[in-house]
Amino acid sequence: MSGAYAWLLVACGLGVVVVRRRTVAVALVTAQALALAALAARDAAGSNDLVAAGALALRALVLATVLFVVVARTREARPVRAGAAPLVRGAIAVALALALTWLVPHIGLDSRDAERAVLALVAFGIATVATRRATLFQVLGIVLVENGLGLAALRLPGGASLAIELGVALDLVLVALVAVVFHERIFAEFGTGDAALLRALRD
Amino acid sequence: MTSRALLALLVVAVPAASALLLAVAPRRVVRPLGLALSLPVGGLALALSALALAEPGSPQAHAWWAVDAAGGLLLGVVGLVGLGSVLVSPAFLDGVRGSLFSGPRGERGYFAVLYAFWALLLAVPLAGNLGQAWLLVEATTAASALLVGFSGKPRALEAGWKYLILTSLGLGVALLGIVLLAAGVPGGGLSGLSWHELGRFSAGGDRAVVGYVLLLAGLAAKVGWAPVHNWLPDAHSEAPPPVSALLSAALLPAVLLVAWRSEQALTPVVGKPTAGGLLVAFGLASLAVSVPFLWRSLAWKRLLAYSSLEHMGVIALGIGFATPLALAGVAVHVAGHALAKALGFYAATPLLDHDPRASRRAPAGVARQQRALGATLGISLGALAALPPSPLFVSEVLIVAGGFQAGRPWAAAATALLLALGFLGLAHALLETTVGEPRRRPTATVRLRSLAPVSVAATLLLAALSAAALWLPGSGIVAALVRGLA
Repeated sequence: MSGAYAWLLVACGLGVVVVRRRTVAVALVTAQALALAALAARDAAGSNDLVAAGALALRALVLATVLFVVVARTREARPVRAGAAPLVRGAIAVALALALTWLVPHIGLDSRDAERAVLALVAFGIATVATRRATLFQVLGIVLVENGLGLAALRLPGGASLAIELGVALDLVLVALVAVVFHERIFAEFGTGDAALLRALRD
Repeated sequence: MTSRALLALLVVAVPAASALLLAVAPRRVVRPLGLALSLPVGGLALALSALALAEPGSPQAHAWWAVDAAGGLLLGVVGLVGLGSVLVSPAFLDGVRGSLFSGPRGERGYFAVLYAFWALLLAVPLAGNLGQAWLLVEATTAASALLVGFSGKPRALEAGWKYLILTSLGLGVALLGIVLLAAGVPGGGLSGLSWHELGRFSAGGDRAVVGYVLLLAGLAAKVGWAPVHNWLPDAHSEAPPPVSALLSAALLPAVLLVAWRSEQALTPVVGKPTAGGLLVAFGLASLAVSVPFLWRSLAWKRLLAYSSLEHMGVIALGIGFATPLALAGVAVHVAGHALAKALGFYAATPLLDHDPRASRRAPAGVARQQRALGATLGISLGALAALPPSPLFVSEVLIVAGGFQAGRPWAAAATALLLALGFLGLAHALLETTVGEPRRRPTATVRLRSLAPVSVAATLLLAALSAAALWLPGSGIVAALVRGLA
């Protein structure tokens, strides 16, 4: 995988951390997942790899469809403010990515660029969940982490198991669908998808 | 196909098929069908559990499934708690007003998702490799989050949301650890992640340690170990009582089994001090965090939730010590905690009938007004506090002794001290809940319905477990637990 391709995936991830509009973030995550599927198809060595690439693409399209529909069904009167300004969010995400790259030794993927991209996407996903208050952005944070891990599975020497790759894709879709059910109920209950309102349970 | 393989297939396939059947069944037959199906599902799980524990010296491990003593123990626990949860569900559902599932689909959705969750829980101890185990654990998140938020009330939505996001993120970190480990096992792929092959990791000790730490840190978020336990008290307190029982008594130890199998498989690579030390650290942190909450006056289900944090810490310590004494204690603790905790959560439904405000504040003097209910709460809390002759008293003694046997005297001493402090907190709660000064006027006797036979059965099983706990150290089961699947 070329360095430019890895940077493209990382840039999409960083975009999710800093952008304001939910539709733009969904588009970025979808573009990232489709780029991963294209990478898998390009490097496919057999029918199993092609099936895995197809599953990645299908997962990206299903999630995109569900998330765009949800955005349309739960229009916010005004955008949910994040816990931090875009520049601060970006700085936190990049700092976390650098820390992870420093802490985690050579993973064993087929290129160092791919390893850095994987760690950056995991860090961006965690940063998105931690710094965004909009429930839909928190779901996108989890999808970002899974996209990073999908890239890791693609760049494993010898490849990952097809069954595991399909299982991970299915699990992510299931979790995202359940999250969407919760998002819609939270929106119906509070009139907004703002996770900051979920603060009744304290000890 | 061997009898164990066939049983393992049926143990997972029957509840999964039941979930599908319940999802499309006519509304009027959902409840009787749900109750009837619990008997074969529970029976199959208990049969395979008995088979695995009767012949602990001959574990079977394949690419996709494995049956051994530890898996057999968990199958028995999940089978029994699942059975109890289904049987007490009608009493809970009779009091439900509205749910996450719209309109008349509430009861059907509840039973279908409950069976799907049960099927996944039964599949986790049978998983033949780490990748498959991760997939099953992740899938339990989707099913159980729907059940946590079942009531659709704001607090339940908050609990379900936190649970879904935090555990999914944690499991993402665990998957990063799995990728790291898979890259270092010769051959890689699915076969490289089998419990046998993980021990052949050959890409350097540092990478193995990082992979192991990421894996355990991620699983910790799902087990509910401190400091990544934030979702646990919320989800346990807001879920329907039969689901809280499954979460605490079945889900947490099932995920813990994955951590245990990983520890056993990777000990030759990362070294015993690191492999066990990390679990001991999680165990002590969980105990230390839980104790101050056990001293506070908390609503019944929230108190049980913090008790889960304490007990998962105790089990982590036993696994981390990894001596025969400690693992004998782990076996007794897993079973005893499941029985006592499930009973406590099942009793929450009649408790809330008796005192609806018990969902927000600590109950008091229940045995003075409702003897049978008070006795059930007392048995549950007494057993969880490890009050003799509770089997948890024996298991905690075994685990602390195992710590000294393992050459970790400071950790064992700290465990004993924290357990003593936790006992004081729970003993105070036990006295307040049962014979304290009631905060409300006497009401009509609450009907225990299906809780009565479940309560008697759980009490008898706890007594039997106390007796068996004395025989367990030195048995073939403990030898098999020490050996594991590797």
